[in-house]
Amino acid sequence: MMLSLITWAPLIGALIVLTLPKDNAKAIQGVGFLASGASLLASLLLIASFKTGSADMQFVESYAWIPALNVSYHLGVDGLSFPLVLLTTFMSFIALIGSLGIKERVKEYFFWFLILETGMLGVFIALDLVLFYVFWEITLVPMYFLIGIWGGPKKEFAAIKFFLYTLSGSVFMLLAILAMYFKAPSHTFDMLELMKANVAWDKHFQVLVFLGLYFGLAIKIPAFPFHTWLPLAHVEAPTPISVILAAVLLKMGVYGLLRLGYQITPLGFSWFLPYLVVIAVINIVYGALCAMAQTDMKKMVAYSSVNHMGYCLLGIAGMTATGFSGAVLQMINHGIVTGALFLLVGVIYDRAHTRDLSAFGGLALKLPVYAGLMMLTCFASLGLPGLAGFWSEFLCFLGAFSAWKWQTTISVLGIIATAAFFLRMMQKVFLGAFNEKWAGMPDMSWRELASILPLAALTVWFGVDPKWPLSLMNATIIHLLGK
Amino acid sequence: MAHLSLLTPALVLSGLSLALMLLDMLLPPKHSRALYHAAWLSSALVLVLVIATMADPASRGSGALWISDSYSQFFSMAVLLTAALCLLLGLDYRALPERHAGTFAALMLMATAGLMFLVCAVDLVLIFVALELVSISSFVLVGFERGNPKSNEGAMKYFLFGAFSSALLVYGISLYYGASGTTHLTPGAAAPGPMLILGLILMLLGFGFKASLAPMHFWVPDAYEGAPTPVTTFLSIAPKIATIALLLRVFGALFPAPQYELGALLGVVAVLTMTIGNFTAFFQDDVKRLLAYSSIAQAGYLLIGLVAGTTRGVEAVMLYSFVYVAMNLGAFAVAQAVGQDAGSYDLSSFDGLAQRSLGLSLAMTFCLLSLAGIPPLAGFIGKLYIFSSAVETGHWWLAVIGLVNSVASAYFYFRVVHRMYFRAPSAAPAPLAVGHFVYGAIAVAVLGVLLFGVNPQPLIASVSASAGLLP
Repeated sequence: MMLSLITWAPLIGALIVLTLPKDNAKAIQGVGFLASGASLLASLLLIASFKTGSADMQFVESYAWIPALNVSYHLGVDGLSFPLVLLTTFMSFIALIGSLGIKERVKEYFFWFLILETGMLGVFIALDLVLFYVFWEITLVPMYFLIGIWGGPKKEFAAIKFFLYTLSGSVFMLLAILAMYFKAPSHTFDMLELMKANVAWDKHFQVLVFLGLYFGLAIKIPAFPFHTWLPLAHVEAPTPISVILAAVLLKMGVYGLLRLGYQITPLGFSWFLPYLVVIAVINIVYGALCAMAQTDMKKMVAYSSVNHMGYCLLGIAGMTATGFSGAVLQMINHGIVTGALFLLVGVIYDRAHTRDLSAFGGLALKLPVYAGLMMLTCFASLGLPGLAGFWSEFLCFLGAFSAWKWQTTISVLGIIATAAFFLRMMQKVFLGAFNEKWAGMPDMSWRELASILPLAALTVWFGVDPKWPLSLMNATIIHLLGK
Repeated sequence: MAHLSLLTPALVLSGLSLALMLLDMLLPPKHSRALYHAAWLSSALVLVLVIATMADPASRGSGALWISDSYSQFFSMAVLLTAALCLLLGLDYRALPERHAGTFAALMLMATAGLMFLVCAVDLVLIFVALELVSISSFVLVGFERGNPKSNEGAMKYFLFGAFSSALLVYGISLYYGASGTTHLTPGAAAPGPMLILGLILMLLGFGFKASLAPMHFWVPDAYEGAPTPVTTFLSIAPKIATIALLLRVFGALFPAPQYELGALLGVVAVLTMTIGNFTAFFQDDVKRLLAYSSIAQAGYLLIGLVAGTTRGVEAVMLYSFVYVAMNLGAFAVAQAVGQDAGSYDLSSFDGLAQRSLGLSLAMTFCLLSLAGIPPLAGFIGKLYIFSSAVETGHWWLAVIGLVNSVASAYFYFRVVHRMYFRAPSAAPAPLAVGHFVYGAIAVAVLGVLLFGVNPQPLIASVSASAGLLP
């Protein structure tokens, strides 16, 4: 029941929001926080009863949904999905705090936002492929509206590009899903059953199915060369939605790669590994170089996501427990750290209405709290030991090195580029001569602090002591590779 | 005249439509609205009649020129439901001349009765008569707004094209008769030879006109644009699904397409229909024309199930047809509400609809998303069935082309959505004045789109119960 509650609470909130008068922003925000908060609270309560030593699906719920097609309402989490569920409920709540700054068409905003949250949670929790696909697509529509109505100057183009790009990927995923359905002797969409049925599938079939799945997943990750929608969508989206995009939506792709690609079509997955590692290296190096070339802070952070997802892919390509743990941990850390980065960029944009790097200078003098938080987050993102990013990147490299020596070496060099663009940003914005134009700029408000401080605290916690998040996923990852 | 009782519902409806015509003459013009109510109540009544007699085995069987099975009953119900809802839309459509309310209502019922004959027919004579009944009624209905030049233009084009395709159909029928010596559609009546196959192809073209299959679709945009919106709604749904039902009977059950090597031809027609429909819709700035091209494309998806030819394919076509009633009707109903308010069906009349009426724009969004096949709406379940029937029978290319088409279609459906949500309302954002009956029809449609999307099992169960009995 708990998983259903987590998934559907936001949707119920959305339906309630729909019935409220549109001028009553306070009530709408209240309902939004209650719904998203209920989901967050329920997921936190589950931590206590989540068995970290078990690799099985937990809190399973299974009912027939469309018996004619053998589609079931099958939910469950294991060590791979549970941390991502926590990330989603947490980051959604944080993004909702950030959404208090939205003043226009509040009712529609909260309606779409809450539907989006249900979609994202469902993707991680669903254990039936049709259910998974339904949730996967549900995330698209709200995102289209959230970018297109509340976004920046080129929002409308960004919205439709995002939508069509992702949709074209997912229809191939649908084809792959149908192919598996007819191949399985019992004609089933159940992921757990397909994971068993796949022993009978020949390599040729698995490769084809994997490619269909990968096409849909790679766009979401985004893996080179399917990353071109991301900078535009990120830059044009309003701040809280950029946070959600980076923190949760990209993770759906990597999660799918492990859950569907690796677990259901292992032969296809291992066939693809040599290419995957090349894509990972390109993501890392090319993403970092692109980030370095940006003058817009938000676009820079967007490209840093391409770069960070490259680390995830590299860790996965290593096919070791270390690499997999690194990849999953990197998903969590990237969610927290990049989420914070987008919020921080949003803070300065709200004040200055520009994100141009060269428009600032010496801000550390004027805004010490802001500068401190920004530096902490940047250091975490570039992988400074002692902060969250370090452990996951380290594990990804360590896990991949034994199998892919020179590829990993090139990727490690990519870290230098990552460090370079973050340091350059800090230098340009916070150090140097103070630009008098911003003399009246206030430091961070309570609302902004409320959304960023929890993330900063987690960044330090996971940097000093990464044991807890790793302990959640450990048993599952060992089980994954033991097959 | 054996087993005329099998046609009872269609005969009752024909009788009611004639009665309406008589009433029109007797009733003073100021009460003419009562005739619309009488009309939608008549089709609802016949719908109830069909449902009530379904359980009775005596309602099914073979007659001289017709056959009544649960398959034809299913499509009769879909057609009657469409007719009732479109007549409701007509109640709030102001451009219709009050004076001719009875004629309008009677013609709608007559077309509906024709479609009910059509889904029962197994003899080419009855098929031809039924098709002509539908065609002639709809020619008049399209031209019903006599003061509107577009309406006249649409009716004229529709008529000329209709006459041409009737000729093709008759030619096909005569070839079939020459090959088999009978007009009855019986499998094995004639050895497969060039004459029979040519006859079947010509018949396919004749049917394709009604179902708006490429390359017989040219009349669609003009007729749909010119016709009164309730008529457009009716034409875009009822004749289409009834003709697809007929195609399914002829090329699915009686003359299985693969056996006559027509499978590839049907596949090509499906691809052409989808692709032409979707890619031409990109360039439309009139919402009725846009939905017209969209409905052409939808017919293409339906054909995929026919090409698959399996039980699952038949089920897919039935399921999708039923879902299509809800989603297309909803979209046209909102278009009518908005277009009537703005005085034009240009896309710009949708500007800022979300800020004027969030409910109406959400309804439109749901219907359009469903047409594009986005879950969790009913259209997704329909497409899932359609494409899975193609994948199951190894028609990968059809599934791929169909899915690519779905993505492309999302683009133009979102052009409407874009207008509703991203544009500011032009001038004063006054709330819309929408009639109760239009609201009712929209509510029914949206409810269907949501309900069959979230809980499709009851619909699937009734579809598979009906599909299994196809001869």
